[in-house]
Amino acid sequence: MEINAQIALTVFMGVLLVAVAAWLTRIEDWRSYSSTAGGVVSQGERSEYIEQEKPAGLIRWLTTVDHKDIGILYGIYGLTAFAVGGLMVVLMRVELATPSTTLVGPALYNSLMTSHGITMLFLFGTPIIAAFSNYLIPLIIGADDMAFPRINAIAFWLLPPSALMIWAGFFAGPLGLGFEAPQTAWTLYTPLSTGSAGGSLDPAGGAGIDLMLLGLHLSGVAATMGAINFIATIFTQRDENVTWANLDIFSWTILTQSGLILFAFPLLGSALLMLLADRNFGTSFFLADGGNLLWQHLFWFFGHPEVYILVLPMMGIVSYVLPRFAGRKLFGFKFVVYSTLAIGVLSFGVWAHHMFATGMDPRLRASFMAVSMAIAIPSAVKTFNWITTLWNGRIRLTTPMLFCIGFVSNFIIGGVTGVFLASIPVDLVLHDTYYVVGHFHYIVMGAIAFAGFAGIYYWFPLVTGRMYQATLGKAHFWLSFIGTNITFFAMILLGYGGMPRRYATYLPQFTSLNVIATVGAMILFVGQIIFVWNLVNSWYAGKRVESGDPWDLKRDGVHTVEWQWFDRKIETAITDGGEEEQNAVTDGGEPIDKSENN
Amino acid sequence: MATKIFDKDTILDLTVNFVPLGILAVFIGIFVFADPWGFDLRASLPMYLIMFSMVISLGILTYISGKAIAGDEKKAEVYSQGQAFLDGAEPIDPHGHGENSEETDEHESKTDPENEEH
Repeated sequence: MEINAQIALTVFMGVLLVAVAAWLTRIEDWRSYSSTAGGVVSQGERSEYIEQEKPAGLIRWLTTVDHKDIGILYGIYGLTAFAVGGLMVVLMRVELATPSTTLVGPALYNSLMTSHGITMLFLFGTPIIAAFSNYLIPLIIGADDMAFPRINAIAFWLLPPSALMIWAGFFAGPLGLGFEAPQTAWTLYTPLSTGSAGGSLDPAGGAGIDLMLLGLHLSGVAATMGAINFIATIFTQRDENVTWANLDIFSWTILTQSGLILFAFPLLGSALLMLLADRNFGTSFFLADGGNLLWQHLFWFFGHPEVYILVLPMMGIVSYVLPRFAGRKLFGFKFVVYSTLAIGVLSFGVWAHHMFATGMDPRLRASFMAVSMAIAIPSAVKTFNWITTLWNGRIRLTTPMLFCIGFVSNFIIGGVTGVFLASIPVDLVLHDTYYVVGHFHYIVMGAIAFAGFAGIYYWFPLVTGRMYQATLGKAHFWLSFIGTNITFFAMILLGYGGMPRRYATYLPQFTSLNVIATVGAMILFVGQIIFVWNLVNSWYAGKRVESGDPWDLKRDGVHTVEWQWFDRKIETAITDGGEEEQNAVTDGGEPIDKSENN
Repeated sequence: MATKIFDKDTILDLTVNFVPLGILAVFIGIFVFADPWGFDLRASLPMYLIMFSMVISLGILTYISGKAIAGDEKKAEVYSQGQAFLDGAEPIDPHGHGENSEETDEHESKTDPENEEH
């Protein structure tokens, strides 16, 4: 009887679904949703300018499905998050200038630390990569747009509510809503995050943690939708000339990254929902024996691939941009491609190197050490390829190139310090010290953010049609490079000294190095203010670029298709009655003596 | 067909992924023969599973990607990255024989004092 009822219910639901589908096909002509609607296509021999009228003003940005517009939205979103996360850490570093608490209390410090990590990884890192990939990949592979333009737009619009939920605790306290910003660190380790006194009463943030979990889940859904879109786009929308042998390195890294997201983020989503259930619905996934280890395993199974989700596309940007200013092709292109794929696979076999100190079985621990050692090889291969590309090249130290070289330099320090941590005996000594903080900031700030800056400066003329101010760009680089190395090298030394991470206070013997780290952070801060000023000012008032080859890439035969698209866009604009301005300038392109746009 | 795709040049390209495979093989060998912690199914099974799954997955992905890339190299012209449908782009030698050496000569002559200005 019960089975019959279930069958009847299933049939009913099936009929209902068919009826809804039939109704939807009647009310809407879905074929009108061409993926090119609202986009600009001008690729290869099939060049065709088909931009349709877009609504003006805010409505354009709220309704756009054009991959380029969505790329810009991702960029603005990512940079806003970068500013928020940066201001959070400025407060923390000011606090850490003295051993005792002065400016920020321990609870607020913990909240800032938690939100800084999550903001930089989820709200800055992933979206800024999506900014580049959305804008550029369809142009570079010769696609009309993304495979699913509307999913692309939805994926972006999930992010603003995600950020609001993640940051909600900071607003809730002053508004008297009865909960605080989470104090769990971005790792959300249980039992701290399970809330011993019930979901809304625990001292680590109360409902602020629940909102953060939901916000993280939302950002994971957005990332997964984006990943599916990129995989579909790269597999199915390539120009016929873009065979697998011709696919550029940036697209390869985005394809690999999308694969990683597809396997990693759904698992994070499941773990987050399990934690939410533990906190609010009386389940005990992480409260039973072994629950804390279970959380760490689930979290890091996502968490370590996340590192490569962030770094692989940035390596792709460096591999794409660096050869342009070395005046030659990327050395060992296929080595870099295969290394990217190797990193993608091996990144799923290293997660427990974050857990060497948990007391798990030494046999299991050893296997993670072995894979962690193995994954260093493809990263090193890439590094040697970048260096070899520079060898005997016609090097032009433009701002993007400076950031690329800075990336390589910082990546070497961040990578080598990481190899030491992959070794169990060394890790057991350095675990939970500032050495780890210094190591991963060399990667996250010194490499990932640097590559992001390289990409922003390199494609700034393409996106805005204007050139940034080269002197300010170079000032931004040098302040960032010096600031990064002062701050994070001091942290590595602090770690050798045994200073534990995640505390608002520390013992007086660590004062000198902490002051140095804070000075470094202030240098970084000044650099980023210059960056924001340069970006905003140049976008509105920078001199227009007239040449479709502002970097003078044709001279070395390293011109690429997105600049060809840009060239045609300029030509079309002029033909359409666009204004022709004089004094087009570049940063290292042509004319050389006008390279500064001050 | 497979032997045609996986010729000497392609195998040479793939060596980059053989190195991590080799490192994993060495570790597996050490753990099998030295056996420092003894054998216990609950711990040893996941230990070997993690390493073998990586070896197998990496091997499969390397094979598939090598087949896709090398196969396309043999079917169509190969261009520098980002130049596949660039007007006037010249195809390149996919295996890079002489590519870099030619470039080196070319760039030595191209290098000029202008570089130092930047």
